[in-house]
Amino acid sequence: MQVYAKPKSIKENSSFTFCSGCDHGLALKLVASVIDELDIQQDTIAVASSGCSVFLYNFLEVDCIESPHGRACAVATGVKRAHKARNNDKIVFTYQGDGDFASIGLGESIHSALRGENITAICINNTNYGMTGGQLGPTTAMGQITTTSPTGRNREYHGFPIKTAEHIALCEGTAFSARVALYDIKNIYNAKNMIKKAFEYQKKGLGFSFVEILSSCPTNWKLSPSDSHKKIKEELTKVYPLKVFKDVLNG
Amino acid sequence: MSEKELLKGNIAIAASALNSGCECYFGYPITPQTEIGEYLSYEMQKRNLAYVCAESEIAAINMALGAASTGAKVMTSSSSCAVSLMQEAISYACCDELPIVIVNVMRAGPGQGYIYPSQGDYNQSTKGGGNGDYQVIVLSPSSVQECVDLTSRAFYLAQKYRNPVILLADGMLGQMAEPAIIDCNKYEEIDNSSWRLDGAKNRPAREIHSLEPSQLKLNQHILNLKKKYDLIENSEVDYEEYMTDDADIIITAFGTMGRCAKEVVNHYRMQGVKMGLFRPITLYPFPLIRLRELSYRVKTFIDIEMNLGQMLKDVQLAILSNASVAFVGKPVGDWLKKEEMIEAIDNIIKEQYAGIR
Amino acid sequence: MSYIVIDSSKCKSCYLCMEVCPNKLIKKSGNVGKTGEYTVEFVDKENKCTGCAMCAMMCPDIAITGVYKE
Repeated sequence: MQVYAKPKSIKENSSFTFCSGCDHGLALKLVASVIDELDIQQDTIAVASSGCSVFLYNFLEVDCIESPHGRACAVATGVKRAHKARNNDKIVFTYQGDGDFASIGLGESIHSALRGENITAICINNTNYGMTGGQLGPTTAMGQITTTSPTGRNREYHGFPIKTAEHIALCEGTAFSARVALYDIKNIYNAKNMIKKAFEYQKKGLGFSFVEILSSCPTNWKLSPSDSHKKIKEELTKVYPLKVFKDVLNG
Repeated sequence: MSEKELLKGNIAIAASALNSGCECYFGYPITPQTEIGEYLSYEMQKRNLAYVCAESEIAAINMALGAASTGAKVMTSSSSCAVSLMQEAISYACCDELPIVIVNVMRAGPGQGYIYPSQGDYNQSTKGGGNGDYQVIVLSPSSVQECVDLTSRAFYLAQKYRNPVILLADGMLGQMAEPAIIDCNKYEEIDNSSWRLDGAKNRPAREIHSLEPSQLKLNQHILNLKKKYDLIENSEVDYEEYMTDDADIIITAFGTMGRCAKEVVNHYRMQGVKMGLFRPITLYPFPLIRLRELSYRVKTFIDIEMNLGQMLKDVQLAILSNASVAFVGKPVGDWLKKEEMIEAIDNIIKEQYAGIR
Repeated sequence: MSYIVIDSSKCKSCYLCMEVCPNKLIKKSGNVGKTGEYTVEFVDKENKCTGCAMCAMMCPDIAITGVYKE
């Protein structure tokens, strides 16, 4: 009996173009499984962004529009509202990196949450700008070395990183906000449940749902995939705690 | 609504948009076009249509981008310096082939400028303010009735060509009231079921994107867009001619200036000067061929604009004959008065014809 | 007897599956894959595979295309 198979919502014959050991693949697989389990593949419209997350449409068998850098939540708002104006309730989600969601697009992200826009945003937080070769981003941890913070992130030059899931949780229109990681099986299961919950909350029309996925970037961190997961487990989860920060249905 | 009523330009645009089937509006306030958003906020909520007070013009145009991908009829409106903020998404919309109607009720620039009258956005609208090879269709009304009619046409052309359309009005048109009729929408509905994103039901998933790593495909896509622009240039040119049949001198002017220039033509006709007016209604596609035809029998063109001569370059490009081209204009401030224009034109005529005698 | 199927054309040699397998049944093969490193192979001479599917859950590239349990 087959107990594991490729999620149906992943395109046949497609191969992820991410680097070896990159958590983007894991995250996309989870999103695809959730789409399968909720049986929403035919009703879902995905919004891709700029950065490593851009090729979403090459991997997922759902309708997809690319958005300009940072504007995914605004584009998703347009998609969702336009369908609603025709009495079609579609499931709309964005798949963005932390640079896209929390730096260049922070305005669009926060305001979508404040409006309680009934969409889901998935944000891959790998603490740097991965596509361009690992520069300092909004989520780069204090002391972390990147190509534009050669002596480590410091207060004097760079200031502090953003705790995205915590900020989104503060918005009244947010129905669900959580941070998850993918460094072991237990966390992968948990991440999938959280992503599922986010989509379910959208289905129920509860408002903005958000999952920040603490992810590895082995290439730019210059660590092996395994050591990258160790770094997340031992260091980054101390900076970015794994937690549900807001859940309107559970206190 | 099928009787003439007194309408303010901004309201005429908004009401005509609704009448043309606009389903989604996204906007951010800026003078002198704010009434468009105010009017629609009430009317669209009443009809359960999509209306968002966006957090910025950048968000507004990107919401429009998303909404347009569903095949809906979408509009946003703004003014000069804030339309500058929208240029990135307009470039995307052209590459993605998404129909969006963008209303620009012009004010003075550069930068923040002020709410003074100006026609300073001709270049930005017709030559593109964003990156890459692309073209936006640009319609230029000169009366409140044309605000109504061209808004309808903008929605139609946007859907027909899957391309953004800019309605380039100005503060004068936006703020003035005159009698106009909003009739039933005369344009046919365009079927967009072959490309819109409405869920991959009984068909493969669709994707809309501008990113294209394949050099071959990217080249081909841009060449295909060029073919579309050629088709637009061959089919959608529109202009008004006033007393051009026997004219020796033709004034070229668009929008509000085109309307004011009619008075100038009347003045010279009274004095026996054979003058006419050529007013492009589509700024892109520019009526280049017709202007070229006229140039073979006209001695002088006088281009009048509320800017430093932006359409002037297109007029010069059109004219291959020995006809001379003069310019009358100023960048911002009160609209050029009839007397100011006449004084300037008197001087031009004096100079031009002094040499001949 | 449980087993897994690996599509080595998709394997990017991250070796996360090797680490997560409770019985260490996934090993480096002698074949070089798309990243220039050895791809992995499934070696289970003593039928120890329980079909837990943790390797497939962990694979970022869906190179472990199926897990079969009996």
